[in-house]
Amino acid sequence: MRITCPFCGERELGEFTYLGDAKPQRPAADASEEAVYDYVYLRDNIAGVMSEHWYHGGGCRAWLKVTRNTLTHEISAVEPAAGAGAAKVGA
Amino acid sequence: MADFSWDVRSPLDRTLVAGPYGVQGDAGVALTEIRNFDLVQVMARRGKASEMAQTAQARFGVAAPETPKAVGASDATLIWSGPDQFFMLSKGGKHSIEALAPVFAGSASLSDQSHARALINVSGEKARTMLAKLSSIDLHPDVFGVGAAAATSMDHTSVTLWRGTDRNGQVVFNLLVFATFAQSLWHTILDSAAEYGVTIGHSEDLA
Ligand SMILES: [Zn+2]
Repeated sequence: MRITCPFCGERELGEFTYLGDAKPQRPAADASEEAVYDYVYLRDNIAGVMSEHWYHGGGCRAWLKVTRNTLTHEISAVEPAAGAGAAKVGA
Repeated sequence: MADFSWDVRSPLDRTLVAGPYGVQGDAGVALTEIRNFDLVQVMARRGKASEMAQTAQARFGVAAPETPKAVGASDATLIWSGPDQFFMLSKGGKHSIEALAPVFAGSASLSDQSHARALINVSGEKARTMLAKLSSIDLHPDVFGVGAAAATSMDHTSVTLWRGTDRNGQVVFNLLVFATFAQSLWHTILDSAAEYGVTIGHSEDLA
């Protein structure tokens, strides 16, 4: 599997580290315990297209948001995660 | 309080043995460690990437690299190291961290890497063939031309790789590696290069 880093270009999987689901959003500070538990521990086990965080630690050290099909490993989109590369995401 | 006396020396000081290595005859690979350089990492602060770029342009007379490449200024080289950041490689203290800190104050965070990295210059007829054993990126001249740079990994070690100006009609690669990984990568490079014949040396001159 290869990932096309928006900063570096196409690179082998070994340069990246997988974080996991990019969908969960940190709940507000006053959110219920249930909402925080869900955010921290509960994950969907998606068979199909999902949005994931990957870290290009063996390269530019940017966090990326990768859209990947977990059944086929087909990657349909890669974009910088929020805060990675101010020029590209305007953060 | 105990007194400490630190010798400033290259991380390859004990490992590098100048002279020939591997197969005898015409060396296909030349390895030269470059010593005593100034290396500063310049990273834009949040929302200050364009300000950092303008400051770099004013200071060095060239645009800071926004894509993976190395840009030569009259007395320094600016090497892309990631989004909104680059390395400043020079000699003699003119662009040391002390000199650059007031220049980039407010637009970028600086980190002195002068003694944190080893710089290895790889050239010779078989340089690319040898590096192809260690690197998963395409180093063919059509893809990785003069001035191309990459933040990548070799033998599980993070490196900054860039192509310098050709020397005597031959391709020149530069490798920056973390000081603590330098010995390990050096041995790997020697193993890879041995079959082509190697000539080893060190220099104080930035290629
Ligand atoms: Zn990258």
